[in-house]
Amino acid sequence: MSQACPKYRLLRGYTIDPGFSTRLDTMGVNETTYKIRWEEDLLPGPIGEYLEIIDFDPINYCFYEPVDLNARDVLASNGVSPSEGNAKFHQQFVYTVIMQTIENFEKALGRKIIWRSNHKWVNGRLDESQRYVQKLRVYPHGMMEANAFYTTEKVALLFGYFQAANNVQGTNFPGGAVFTCLSPDIIAHETTHAILDSMYPRYMENTNPDVPAFHEAFADIVALLQRFSNPRLLEHQIEQTRGRLDEYNVMGELATQFGQAVETGRGALRSAIGRHDPRTGKWKKMEPDPGAYPRTLEAHDRGAILVATIFEAFMRLYNFRVQDLIRIATQGSGILPQGSIHPDLVRRLAAEASDIASHLLSICIRALDYCPPVDISFGDYLQALITADTDLSPEDNNGYRVALIDAFRAWGIFPERVKTLSVYSLRWSPPDFNKKELSAVEIMAGFIKEDVREISRLTDRKKIMEKYRNVQAKLQLLLMNPEKMQPLTWKRSRLTAKDWTGFLHKIGVEHYSQPIRVKTGDTELEFSANPPLEVHNVKHAFRIGREERQLEQVIISLTQTHRTVKNSGAGFRFRSGCTMVLNIANDEMKLEYIVLKRFDRDRRLPRQAEYQLGTGAGLTVPVSAYADSRDSLQLSFQQLHSH
Amino acid sequence: MPVTANIKMYRVGELGDCFLLCFSQQNQRTHVLIDCGSYWNKKSSVDRMKIIAEDIAKQVKGYQLDVVVGTHQHNDHLSGYVHAEAVFKKIKPRQVWLSWLDDPDNKTARKIGKDFNNYLTRLRLIQKELKSSFYAGTEKIQQNIQHLLGFYGITGAERFNARTEKFPADLPARATGILKTLGKNKPKYLSPGEVFDLPGLGKETVKVYVLGPPREEEFLYKKEPGKGETFDHKLSLHAAQAEKMLTALKKATGSAGVRKAEEPFPFDEPYRESANFKPVEDAYYDKKNEWRQIELDWLNQAEELALWLDGFTNNSSLVLAFELVETGKVLLFAADAQAGNWRSWKEIKWKKKPAGFSWLNLMNNTVLYKAGHHGSHNSTLVEGLENMTHEELVVMIPVEKSDPMVNYGKGWKMPAVNLYKELKKSSRNRIIRMDEGISKAKAWNDLAGKAGGNSLYWEYDVKG
Repeated sequence: MSQACPKYRLLRGYTIDPGFSTRLDTMGVNETTYKIRWEEDLLPGPIGEYLEIIDFDPINYCFYEPVDLNARDVLASNGVSPSEGNAKFHQQFVYTVIMQTIENFEKALGRKIIWRSNHKWVNGRLDESQRYVQKLRVYPHGMMEANAFYTTEKVALLFGYFQAANNVQGTNFPGGAVFTCLSPDIIAHETTHAILDSMYPRYMENTNPDVPAFHEAFADIVALLQRFSNPRLLEHQIEQTRGRLDEYNVMGELATQFGQAVETGRGALRSAIGRHDPRTGKWKKMEPDPGAYPRTLEAHDRGAILVATIFEAFMRLYNFRVQDLIRIATQGSGILPQGSIHPDLVRRLAAEASDIASHLLSICIRALDYCPPVDISFGDYLQALITADTDLSPEDNNGYRVALIDAFRAWGIFPERVKTLSVYSLRWSPPDFNKKELSAVEIMAGFIKEDVREISRLTDRKKIMEKYRNVQAKLQLLLMNPEKMQPLTWKRSRLTAKDWTGFLHKIGVEHYSQPIRVKTGDTELEFSANPPLEVHNVKHAFRIGREERQLEQVIISLTQTHRTVKNSGAGFRFRSGCTMVLNIANDEMKLEYIVLKRFDRDRRLPRQAEYQLGTGAGLTVPVSAYADSRDSLQLSFQQLHSH
Repeated sequence: MPVTANIKMYRVGELGDCFLLCFSQQNQRTHVLIDCGSYWNKKSSVDRMKIIAEDIAKQVKGYQLDVVVGTHQHNDHLSGYVHAEAVFKKIKPRQVWLSWLDDPDNKTARKIGKDFNNYLTRLRLIQKELKSSFYAGTEKIQQNIQHLLGFYGITGAERFNARTEKFPADLPARATGILKTLGKNKPKYLSPGEVFDLPGLGKETVKVYVLGPPREEEFLYKKEPGKGETFDHKLSLHAAQAEKMLTALKKATGSAGVRKAEEPFPFDEPYRESANFKPVEDAYYDKKNEWRQIELDWLNQAEELALWLDGFTNNSSLVLAFELVETGKVLLFAADAQAGNWRSWKEIKWKKKPAGFSWLNLMNNTVLYKAGHHGSHNSTLVEGLENMTHEELVVMIPVEKSDPMVNYGKGWKMPAVNLYKELKKSSRNRIIRMDEGISKAKAWNDLAGKAGGNSLYWEYDVKG
């Protein structure tokens, strides 16, 4: 009989940048023990199911000895002990934080993460045999600069190291080596880029100023909320405040520190949340500025606004939730005495904060499944947040949605074409199908039902991916030729080809057999006929909400690419499509929401053309301050992060 | 007594700046030459510079060339002073104006100059190392660096003297050397906040305001606006980074000159033999996964380092504003100043000016704007342009679209699309481009001064 696997692997590591662990007041707290899902057959590297940590240093042209997390001495002492001078610990630590981030995503999404596929073309065709990328590759010492990034071309994370300035600055050790792979914030940030890219590769296309900003902001949000989910760190911070809990100080300073950690040459996040008053030395919260969003166009600065918005929601929730605790502790006065706070109260406050942070993290991640497949805007994201959360936690006892809406309002981020900022009107609307369209949906749902069921039983990620591909291809054929793919059902449904086109139109798929011309600003664009349809995703999800509600869902996303003909608009591409959310209950599959990005010739298309081609009076890429040097149509994190 | 300012933008035929200003009042005239250079140093570039210099001599005949300005150490602004040295020596200008950064008596300037030269030397050496066969596949990086080194007139063929650890002086440095001895009088080294009468005309006729380069070291290093606050000693930091990179490259290529005792970085530990290496090495060298190797990726940094030095040099630009006192109209010559330089103008403490006076007064009254850095994206501060509200505003952009450099790379576009739109809006389409000449716009009729030109230059008169 084989032995049962352990559930978790305990690994020691830092809670915040090691730069802080040499400061006396944070020394105690900066080490913690992480609990990571046990991986069987973990090789030295570590190389596991999801990751391969390859510690190749191209500068010194050598490999550093890989850590074997299954070695007896390592297992017995909860991993290699934290040390900046030991490469093995570095490998262990990136492994730890990335795995933790993956776990958070898988829990919230209710399915397994599968990395972006490798698009290798052989003789004009995608090489299917090399398409599956099982492991994200991680280079903890991949370059010698103050930078870290995710690269889509290599499906890899590269972390840099560099020499600290020779003068004493903050907590730096002058002239010492600084490693970006030792900052949990940076690791979480980069991992999130990789995961987001695996879900929405089209978010790498810079179609409006929110897109590059969203990638950055979302990565920061995940990293920030992960930081706040750590109760030990919070306890320590709350202890330090000596009663000033009514202010935003504790959390704010933690968030500011976070901003310092993830910034490599940019201070956008720091200043969006708050800053230290140079005169008093005290941290001051930045009041939300509703005018900032339309005005701020540079990717990081604009992203910082979204991060600050989520942080604002977090703070509102926290203040609301701890009111009673504070009342109990102060016999109703609300004013804590000077001096240290009772350790019990500290623990309770920290527990509340970390609880809120992990819920908020789940909400933020889950919302991704309710986002459009292309051209996302912050307003879309708010709607996705609200819809996803309403779906899973209909009661909202603790006011998460209200807090989110308030925060978005305070920062002036409003979705387009929404009349009121209420939960009801912010939710994506369920489709209003007529009878014929309903039977079309039925054909579609019935067609993939068996496959989805099969996927839900699979555990091997490669098999899951292959099955996804297979269903996607089948569904694509069905949408193009329902009568051929499902002759019997088709007959029985009595639908005509025209009905089907009508249904496709409802879900954002356009059909035109003649080239069409669209005027934008001072140019006219001509689009080739018969834009191809792509089934981007068919994904299965099984999730549990914070009210213990369970939900089984299928997420389908379709995209269509409208290309301009030669000599029109210099290779301009316009994408449209939709995300469909189907709920599975009692063996029935019901289409609940459609998130549309239409082939909108009146607004979205001219706006994108103006933005990318400079055909109108508005701003063009690169947008900011007529600035940022090298923003381009295709995002590159190496450049986004390096200045 | 009204003053007229005639501005000639010479058509250097490629990326470059050369402006001759002539201020006249009755029969008095003062001539100011701001920069004389072009990017490429080809035979045609040299010939063109000589023709232009001869024309300048012709223009000032009967009067004198009162002031010659060299704004910053880039070839496209200074090359003419080398290529047409003889002509300029013959003209014998009265005085040369340079920025405080060129002042041999200024200690900070000397230190910055030294750091700068070290940095540039290291970059050139890095470029040499990249050419080694060990780094095959870095051609694109080398090309990008070469383009940036081209701004110092560097071709890559220069020989490094291992004993003195120096390359021969680059072209802009030679130009500055020539400029320092060119004038009849000693050169004048200008600092921001200085305000003085333009020589040759009466008192309170034309005032010169010095805006950049900033004195506070900090601003010199800021390329991007509003980002990050701790940029102390960025130049030395970057220079140190370049040094580290160079050492690493040399170690790898086995070049001479690496000290044996070079400390291991970043780890002290010696590398051990271990069976654990196998799975990792197998994964890395797996044929099917070659596309994921990272041998050359870290070298992109060299390009970043080169780009940073380029921004630094642009920010060291001497920025001058000329005010026609009677009407208050201002001509603004921003050289290649990038955001850091512009931002520093807010902090200037003006000498002999009332307390309320600020850079915005100059912006509000600008009627002629020489676009910063050939109209690139980060060389006109939004706040600056927003405040150029004078109804007579005319913009001159020294840009040549046939020069591949103006379209080089993704963000290099000159003029930048968005900025160009804004410039057109603010000036009601009154734009004079070096390549395209005078724009067609009704708004030209609203001006008393006329624009015109010939095959050598475009010109425009500001009526004071």
